[in-house]
Amino acid sequence: MLSLDLLVAGLISGLVIGLSALAVTLVFGVARFPNAATGDAMSLGAYAALAVAAGTGSLVAGGVAAVLAGILLNVILYLLVFRRLSDRSPIMSLLASIGAGFMIRSSLGLVYGQDPQAFRVPLARPLVLLDVRVQWLDLKLAGLTLATLAVVYLILAKTAAGRRMRAVSADPALARVSGIDPTRVMLTLWALAGGVSAVAGLVLGLKTVVTPDLGWNLLLPAFAAAVLGGIGSPLGAVAAGILLGIVQELATPFVGFTYKIAIAFAVLMLVLLIRPRGLFGRAEGAR
Amino acid sequence: MEAYLLAIAIFVAIFTLLTLGLNLQYGLTGLTNFGLVGFFGIGAYASAILTTHGYPVVAGFAAGAALAVIAAWPIGLVALRLRDDYFAIATLGLSEVVRVAIISEKELTAGVQGIPGIPRLFAVLESRTWQPLLLLAVLVAANLGVVLVMRRIARSPFGRVIGAIRDNEEAVRALGKDPARFKTQVLMVGAGLSAVAGSFYAHYVGYVTPDQITPLVTFQIWMAMILGGTGRISGAVLGTLLLMLLIEGARFLPDLLPFVSSTAMAELRVFVVGLALVLFTVYRPQGLMGEVARR
Repeated sequence: MLSLDLLVAGLISGLVIGLSALAVTLVFGVARFPNAATGDAMSLGAYAALAVAAGTGSLVAGGVAAVLAGILLNVILYLLVFRRLSDRSPIMSLLASIGAGFMIRSSLGLVYGQDPQAFRVPLARPLVLLDVRVQWLDLKLAGLTLATLAVVYLILAKTAAGRRMRAVSADPALARVSGIDPTRVMLTLWALAGGVSAVAGLVLGLKTVVTPDLGWNLLLPAFAAAVLGGIGSPLGAVAAGILLGIVQELATPFVGFTYKIAIAFAVLMLVLLIRPRGLFGRAEGAR
Repeated sequence: MEAYLLAIAIFVAIFTLLTLGLNLQYGLTGLTNFGLVGFFGIGAYASAILTTHGYPVVAGFAAGAALAVIAAWPIGLVALRLRDDYFAIATLGLSEVVRVAIISEKELTAGVQGIPGIPRLFAVLESRTWQPLLLLAVLVAANLGVVLVMRRIARSPFGRVIGAIRDNEEAVRALGKDPARFKTQVLMVGAGLSAVAGSFYAHYVGYVTPDQITPLVTFQIWMAMILGGTGRISGAVLGTLLLMLLIEGARFLPDLLPFVSSTAMAELRVFVVGLALVLFTVYRPQGLMGEVARR
């Protein structure tokens, strides 16, 4: 059953796209900031995990380091750069975040070089379910992804910080007059997005190999999924990411795997044309 | 040393063509084309493929420009109805698709290996000094031609419409003009110009690989445009020159810092472009000379 195998592979890569789309949609939806450095936060997370996992021998410690690195990076970027661009055109935000991305990517290249590096993961016999071979690693990664989603959902839905974030997202001016401190909300938001990006980078790095371009290559699918899910909708971003991942894998036998990114592009264009607010988005113009 | 300066001048002239094209699109019309390098790549590869198969140089230039214009047309139809940031991401995606297509279609493009042996322009001139000088003269003439045409466009009724689209698209629509049609035309002209720059580049460098078609090129050109002042036609020349000095200046670092390897230098250049983008968008979005304030 070739197609079932592809379906499982698509589900896994879709979870990675979904996580990165979640990071994009959080910042784009609440701060209205299209952050093109999202992918590079993923790469940084993957390298941080690699370094710490190699040093301590513990993948869990590596994961914690990745999340901390992602949070730290986004907080620094917000305080030093992105905060100053909040009242400018989104193009300036895009350009600045692309510039920040170049800086991160070239720094990673300077320190670690362009050669791909891999996590040391012990080999295990795959699990066979209904004639489909499922790797234990994939199951763990899926679990980690779902746990991350649950954490983000709980923060957004059940905590005071999450409530403030949603208030700013719905109406920044009203949130401000209601006494919500925008800087604090933004810091929490960027930290959250940084942590999510790092987990996405960790999962992708464990699935493939780690290079400085790791996250940048996922930026277009991430934006496509964020738009497809509806900007500002966390659940939509993840659902759309999974959908996009599956579509990419199922199309592979027909178009070859290098054209995956072209499928993300086609999906992005189609959604923007037919339903710019995406699957679950609020009615805000993309046109 | 003279040969080196001449080479820099030729690169500046080639990239100034791109900066002028971007200035037409963003500076004059407000089109946020983040996919410049895609059209540049179409031109470079069209010239590379045709001339290495024995077709004349002119055929490469013409085919590249025509293909780029044709590629820009549907993008215009589809994407120009989008908001700035979505249009930027869509065009960035397009240029990545072009690069992936170049990597994948190995029979035509030789994939990641690239195409070597692209003939020089004016190779009949055997002389190593006169050949690049003539090329530089042709490039300078091309740039001057583009500047003159753009000046005319800016002052023509067409130019007033695209300027109005940049400043207030709703008002243009209210006056009964369709902004999308004008934007599509500007996008197509800009794409053709980028492809011409790509053809010149392929003939000058002598080989093309997908590594030359990365988004880094696009954002170097954006940086050059911002340096020179967005919307200033003459600023494009100055901006490109400054950017090249900034990037090429890093080339002299190894003499000062001998422990820096050449791969590290490549990374440092990317870092410098990134840092410049961040600093200018935050502190001087109006460029070095100021005045033309765009948000």
